[in-house]
Amino acid sequence: MNNKPGEDGMSVNGSRKEGAEVLLMGNEAIARGALEAGVRVAAGYPGTPSSEIIETLSRFSETGKLYVEWSTNEKVAMEVAAAASFAGLRSLCVMKQNGVNVASDFLLHLTGSGTRGGMVLVTCDDPGALSSVNEGESRHFARLMEIPLIEPADFGEAKEMTRWAFELSEEIRNVVMVRSVTRMSHASGNVVPGPLPVLKGKAEFICDGPVSDVERGPVISAPVIQKHRLQQEKLRRAVALFETSPFNAYAGPDKPELLIITSSACALYSREAVALLGAEGRAGILKLGTTWPLPPALLKRHLLMAEKVLIVEEVLPFLEDQVKILAAEQAREIGIKTFYGKNDGTLPMVGELNPDLVAEAVGRILGISPPALPAAYREKLQEFAAMVTKREQTFCPGCPHRASFWIIREALQRDRRRGFVCGDIGCYAMAALFQAAGFHTAKTLHAMGSGTGIASGFGKLGPFGMEQPVIAVCGDSTFYHAAIPALINAVHQKADITFIALDNSGTAMTGFQPHPGIAVNAMGETAPRVEIGALCSAMGAPVVCEDPFDLVRTRETLNRLLESPGVKVLILKQSCALSPEKKGKKQFLVQVDEALCRGEDCGCNRLCTRIFRCPGLLWNRERKKAEIDEVICAGCGFCTGICPAGAILSEEAAKS
Amino acid sequence: MFQGGQKELKETVLDTGLCTGCGACINVCPYQASYRDWTVVLHHCDLAQGRCYACCPRTPADPGSLLPRFYDAADLTPELGAVKGFYIARAADEVVRRGAQHGGTVTTLIALALREGLIDAAVLAGEGDALLPRPVTIREPSAAVRQGKSRFVVSPNVAEFNRTAQGDAERIGIVATPCQAQALAKMRIQPVTASDGGIGKLKLVVGLFCGWALSWPELTSLLGKKTDLTAVTGMDIPPSRYHALEVYTKEGIVRVSLDEVLPCIRESCLSCGDMTAEFSDISVGSARLPEGWEEARLWNQVIVRSERGRELLETARRQGVLEFREVPAGNLEKLKAASLNKKAAAGRSAARRDAGGLKERTG
Repeated sequence: MNNKPGEDGMSVNGSRKEGAEVLLMGNEAIARGALEAGVRVAAGYPGTPSSEIIETLSRFSETGKLYVEWSTNEKVAMEVAAAASFAGLRSLCVMKQNGVNVASDFLLHLTGSGTRGGMVLVTCDDPGALSSVNEGESRHFARLMEIPLIEPADFGEAKEMTRWAFELSEEIRNVVMVRSVTRMSHASGNVVPGPLPVLKGKAEFICDGPVSDVERGPVISAPVIQKHRLQQEKLRRAVALFETSPFNAYAGPDKPELLIITSSACALYSREAVALLGAEGRAGILKLGTTWPLPPALLKRHLLMAEKVLIVEEVLPFLEDQVKILAAEQAREIGIKTFYGKNDGTLPMVGELNPDLVAEAVGRILGISPPALPAAYREKLQEFAAMVTKREQTFCPGCPHRASFWIIREALQRDRRRGFVCGDIGCYAMAALFQAAGFHTAKTLHAMGSGTGIASGFGKLGPFGMEQPVIAVCGDSTFYHAAIPALINAVHQKADITFIALDNSGTAMTGFQPHPGIAVNAMGETAPRVEIGALCSAMGAPVVCEDPFDLVRTRETLNRLLESPGVKVLILKQSCALSPEKKGKKQFLVQVDEALCRGEDCGCNRLCTRIFRCPGLLWNRERKKAEIDEVICAGCGFCTGICPAGAILSEEAAKS
Repeated sequence: MFQGGQKELKETVLDTGLCTGCGACINVCPYQASYRDWTVVLHHCDLAQGRCYACCPRTPADPGSLLPRFYDAADLTPELGAVKGFYIARAADEVVRRGAQHGGTVTTLIALALREGLIDAAVLAGEGDALLPRPVTIREPSAAVRQGKSRFVVSPNVAEFNRTAQGDAERIGIVATPCQAQALAKMRIQPVTASDGGIGKLKLVVGLFCGWALSWPELTSLLGKKTDLTAVTGMDIPPSRYHALEVYTKEGIVRVSLDEVLPCIRESCLSCGDMTAEFSDISVGSARLPEGWEEARLWNQVIVRSERGRELLETARRQGVLEFREVPAGNLEKLKAASLNKKAAAGRSAARRDAGGLKERTG
């Protein structure tokens, strides 16, 4: 995250650089495109790899010409953006792939009612699940909801397509979906900023006309059949525009042996793969920017060029299916083709692609072996690889989650009824993913807020003989996002659960965006706080608030709660170690007294470095003693309380 | 030598219901803890050998070969371990007797040992919450009087000893059940390591006669149906012909039939063959007297086992803090018979386990 170009915002916003090429991250390019389109309202929910779009825009909100918010969840974000569109303004909503699932119920109705001011939905997918616990694909929603889908394949396109998407939205009076992927959103490339428009237009929701009047009537999806027909007519208009779109481009010989059809980051991989194989004379690449609905005439023209067709895309065969449908429909004119892609196993149907995978696939089809790495290079590579320290994914030094899960582990073990934790989405999802983080406590992990819903269900299985106590954990941002209905359900249904809010005062995992529990909003303005404890109390659940760094007291509290029936709420409040108020400041200076450290002996067996495993604790193999990494130790002092020998000493750091 | 680590301890003791709750594996390391009458594993330890296994009174050991290491061969009996002397005694101080379960002998001996400087700290089973005892370490002789009652539920006194031994106490005495005394004996023969638990500080073991202990969850579940648990002031079991557990409450005595109480006995106690705490310096239990229970309950039977135990008892006699009466004829023989009975029952229980009863408990 350190070398984000445009960090200062100047290259994204600065009109003085207009016309000159600048280096922008994909997400910044998307933000720039929205600014060039005159976006007035932008709303989203943080989620890697999408978060930097709203963050970038929020830096330009102070001018008063742009309203930016981090909404409580993606559905609300889309509703907020839709309202702006209904009032005639251009609006943007941004989310990661599974955010579209959250928003999809509204999206279904919104696409039925149509929009007014240009409204663009940007989704950033995460093939390979680099920062997700799913490989969900938002592309399918475009088909499901019958809205146009466009996908940039480089950084200039990311900006241009976003800008154009607003125009298209106004043309068809419906939402347009722009889809990025991690490697587009988080990589950087050259972008030529265009002019920023003079913003005009007053927000007004005109709704005094009849239902049939899409310009002046109420905005609803009924009468459904009529509106649905209208939506499909407009979509055909989009297809007509796609036929001549500059975002679709072919490069290669007139009669290639192999036609590669691709889009998004895979276009880059395909170009690299063909170059790697030296197959430029044999394979041509049709890079599609408008990926749903596919423009049939354009496809027909290119399918006629070759007998063999390889579709290169990530995860599921979305393009492949569409291309095959068009090919079937046009079979009489284009003849029989041999298709390669996901369905025949040429490319994997899971995970990210890369140039090597694509080169291997193209090489197999064309009978070319991809060139091997030079031996010297390979040797050097192995040499360097050995130098890289193996690092496990875990909580940061000083992370309150590590303390919380340590306490949860000990409380559950003491309780003896084989209790478990229903995990949720946030940094603390690592408790379910990596045992060294969660100490083997978290046993389910699904969608945001689902931990609480699942726990609510477990909490009703007592009559069927279930004796295990159930804990749901939920971060503060996730609480507002989707846990509230589940918790209300648990209270109302009298489920036996202990709900633990891991309140670290921010949306920590995605970069510390504010949420409704924080007294500041996305634009840096003071905002009213909505208290988790007060909300839970209002639901009728008993609420206890403890400090996860107070091991003994919090553990006693948790054990007591585990034994009582119904819904109990425990708020474990302690700011994220990377939060602005804590970062770089140590509360304690921590050190190990070597004379006391028991090391590997019976009586300790390296509890701190073998089980607790805070990265700030190091095992000195030569001296056979634990030591503190003073550089990364955050000075939380929690490890002092776990050392059986009292060898980890904490001294209150001088306040500076 | 019988060796193992946490894994073996868990498989053969903790998961099979054999754990006595003595606390020997607690506070020597951070991996086990005592919680609500149970020994629990908090975290996984991967050492192949550990003191948790070595010192557990329920891991394999041969008491026949252990006893001669601590006691005069001439004093050893097959029924009761070492017997240097057998007495009927009680506290001379009536205040001590009133605060005690029976004759107040244990309270008197502990207070005396502290006063005389034989020990500077004593570990006892203190009163906890809702019939769950909590081990305490006392430094003042007068504090012993407040902890004189029998608890019927195990107090992890060895865990408290382990904790106290890491502090500034130099000479520690302990009131121990037979299993706890056994654990301490096993600790005494462990090789001293860098992180030795401080067993060298153990200077006095006052053993308690023990037929069995009750499982706290089951006991509270049973008594909760009979009386208000917060009103319970004490409990006792009179001789077998009464066939009852007497529960003393602020409102009077509640008698619970042993038929209801016996199912609450800890599984581990059924396999225990030590009724008189054979690994102690001096063992104390309730007395049996020809005058009957009303008189007998005011006295204790005492077995002196070691030279240190003998010295302590003689000091008590010299100072007049204990009073003695003649041991009725046949008392020692009856005690031997009872002890032998328990050994036989434990043998049968172990055989049942070996024959497959164990499996049912581990599932």
